[in-house]
Amino acid sequence: MSEARPLQSVSPLAAFWRDFRRNRVAVVALAVVVAIILLAVFAPFVVPQDPYDLKSLVLRDARRPPGYVGRDGMLHLLGTDSQGRDLLSAIVYGLRISLEMGLMAGAIAFAIGAVVGCSAAYLGGRIEALIMRIVDVQLSFPAILLAFVVAAILGQGKGQLILALVFAQYAYFVRTAHGAAAAERQKDYVQAALSVPMGGWFVITRHILPNSLPPLIVVATVQVASAISLEATLSFLGVGLPATEPSLGMLIANGFQYLMSGRYWIAIYPGVALIVLIMAINLTGDQIRDQLNPRLRK
Amino acid sequence: MTHLLNVRDLRTWFHTDRGIVRSVDGISFTLERGEVMGLVGESGSGKSITGFSLIGLIDRPGRIEDGSSIRFDGRELVGMEERQLRRIRGKDISMVFQDPMMTLNPVVKIIDQIGMAIRAHEPASDAEVRRRAVEALARVRIVDPAHKVDQYPHEFSGGMRQRVAIAIALLHRPRLVIADEPTTALDVSVQAEILKEVKSLVAEMGTSLIWISHDLATVSSIADSIAVMRRGKIVEAGPVRRVLETPEHPYTQGLLDALPSRSRPGELLASNATEAAGKMDFSGLGGAAIGAPPDPAFVEARGVDKIFLAQAGALRRFAIRCGLARPPVPVRAVSSASLTIARGEILGLVGESGSGKSTLGRILCGITPPTDGRVTVGGAPVMDGNRKHGTKVQMIFQDPFASLDPRRTIFQSVAEGPVVHGFCTRGEARAYVDRWLRAVAFDPALADRYPHQFSGGQRQRIAIARALAMQPEVIICDEPVASLDVSIQAQVINLLMELRRHLNLTLLFISHDLSVVHHLCDRVIVMRHGEIIEEGSAAQIFGAPKEAYTRMLLEAIPRPGFDIARVPGI
Repeated sequence: MSEARPLQSVSPLAAFWRDFRRNRVAVVALAVVVAIILLAVFAPFVVPQDPYDLKSLVLRDARRPPGYVGRDGMLHLLGTDSQGRDLLSAIVYGLRISLEMGLMAGAIAFAIGAVVGCSAAYLGGRIEALIMRIVDVQLSFPAILLAFVVAAILGQGKGQLILALVFAQYAYFVRTAHGAAAAERQKDYVQAALSVPMGGWFVITRHILPNSLPPLIVVATVQVASAISLEATLSFLGVGLPATEPSLGMLIANGFQYLMSGRYWIAIYPGVALIVLIMAINLTGDQIRDQLNPRLRK
Repeated sequence: MTHLLNVRDLRTWFHTDRGIVRSVDGISFTLERGEVMGLVGESGSGKSITGFSLIGLIDRPGRIEDGSSIRFDGRELVGMEERQLRRIRGKDISMVFQDPMMTLNPVVKIIDQIGMAIRAHEPASDAEVRRRAVEALARVRIVDPAHKVDQYPHEFSGGMRQRVAIAIALLHRPRLVIADEPTTALDVSVQAEILKEVKSLVAEMGTSLIWISHDLATVSSIADSIAVMRRGKIVEAGPVRRVLETPEHPYTQGLLDALPSRSRPGELLASNATEAAGKMDFSGLGGAAIGAPPDPAFVEARGVDKIFLAQAGALRRFAIRCGLARPPVPVRAVSSASLTIARGEILGLVGESGSGKSTLGRILCGITPPTDGRVTVGGAPVMDGNRKHGTKVQMIFQDPFASLDPRRTIFQSVAEGPVVHGFCTRGEARAYVDRWLRAVAFDPALADRYPHQFSGGQRQRIAIARALAMQPEVIICDEPVASLDVSIQAQVINLLMELRRHLNLTLLFISHDLSVVHHLCDRVIVMRHGEIIEEGSAAQIFGAPKEAYTRMLLEAIPRPGFDIARVPGI
């Protein structure tokens, strides 16, 4: 390359979006994720009914099929559940809680995993060996089992459930961060920083961690989706959220008993919402992974 | 009689999202039977793409444009069907690549790789494959070929691997061999042997050869004719002697002038890149070394040893005790090395790969703790236990593409050290960094960009500015010009000489390139297998070397068949 000719520059983010746009499925999936997030954030302004407001529930309208117009003139697009609650409203509020759980757990596990993994790779030696063996042991248990046990011990509640999810998932982040950071650790720019000398914490947070982010972001998309499904599973089994915080898993559990009696919608629609959400996140994540994977890059 | 190869108006363009990149843009040349042509150019000049175009190995988005013509032995190759091309490729035209690690399959034995290459074009029995494989290895002077054919590539050294790649390229007695930087990754002594062998092999077989390289000296020692490429075009072509003695194009002249071997040691090299980059501005710079009293043993290393020993984990230790695993073998990278560098001196440290020169450099810089021995700078130890002590010694690395953090701006990279170590406050950082960037002739207005937006030469100057901003007294330069083009190399060498003069810096210059060391250094140390085997002033080492090994290194410097130093116009 000849002298003094900076490459015509497209910001990395713009370039990323340009490649992302090529995959129609991923664009649709991303649109769905964004739509669901918006729906969840603005839930109170979007849905016809506040499902927690017991006053607004009409018990005589319970278990009505989709499209039923209630006594108060309200259209129940997806029908009502056993308490006469509008199912669409319940699902949107359920999505809100599911997303909140998934994102919170994902973010905390991400932060712990990134710091622990990068530090282990930086420090090396016995500390690294110890941390990674603990992680190995944990990865050999099914995540659902770990989450179940922790949730059962801690009891019900949002905070407790997030803790259980983080405990079940942080090991994936540590593993990934460690792998990426160990590769970065050997590179000349890290050696250069150490030769100045810069402190260990500075090198980890300013050099190693930012350069280890791409694989972590990929894991994060997968793990958020998996945290949401874990949470749904736990709530379905009754060890997750309390009844005052009805997530999608609990809605499914509530409808489960009516599944055989022809009132399919009470369980099916929350289930469909869950599937759509997880699929959209996974498809978006797939595309991000393909783009960040240097082996697949053209 | 027609030419063996007649290339007319070859254009290979890459149709990318950011527009068309004209890698090869209308080049024409002919090659006779048995002729050796050197294709020279700096990185990005399109010389490798030219080689790939000739054998039809251009992948999308690259394309050989309409109107291009490559006539090989009377047959048009452009637009030829892939099936027919494959019949020619490897048989009539074959290729040798830079990195033999990439071209040899690591999990396939040599004999099977040769077998595949033979059977791609003709049926052969196992016995015949063996006979021809042994013969092919013997031809490239591999010792004990009958035994070696049954080995895997990892059992071969880099030079031997490249010999195997050459042997495979010559299997079918091709009429044309294209060699793309085949000796760049090798040590000088190995390079010298391979150059000699390839030269006699192609002469003996009557094969034509296109030798692609960035190194004028290597090319001129093997080629009959030479073509100089720049930005996708051939700027000058002709017999090698004519081109080197009376270059017509200013670019060729510039390339020749930038060679350290063509100017007097210690003088600034003629370099267009230096002029293009603008003036170095040393105003307002500080540094503890300026005006410091002379000190003949400013940097002192006494009996430095470095032994690398792989740490065995608990499981491995248990396996070793049971006799199931072998204990890790200690590697002696440096053994009892002692050296001194006077203040303001440039000491050259030369040796081939694996000689321990980089490890010694890292020990002197305080990155790697020595197993035994002591390193002091100005009387104070460089390391305090396993931690680096002080900031007097800084380092410049070989590959400027790896030594800058891709996710931090130039400003952030240069500023982080001085801010943390109190050479400037966060508020003054901008002005402070600007001063040092100006000193290496880098436009401070570009400081908020990221490294990927700059060329190798610019990045190396940024890396130098980063080291300088710590106001060091000693800089360890680990092959700082090895991955740079000659014109950029000249610029960096000039920069280092100017900096030493203005800032009274003490430099350790680690390099395998003896002509650069000869030009730049006051004193030279030669290392081999971790030991310092010879030490002396540059004039003494290059004029009257004592050790046979040093003499061998000096003889291995590639030289044209005629005396390039007497070329007029210097």
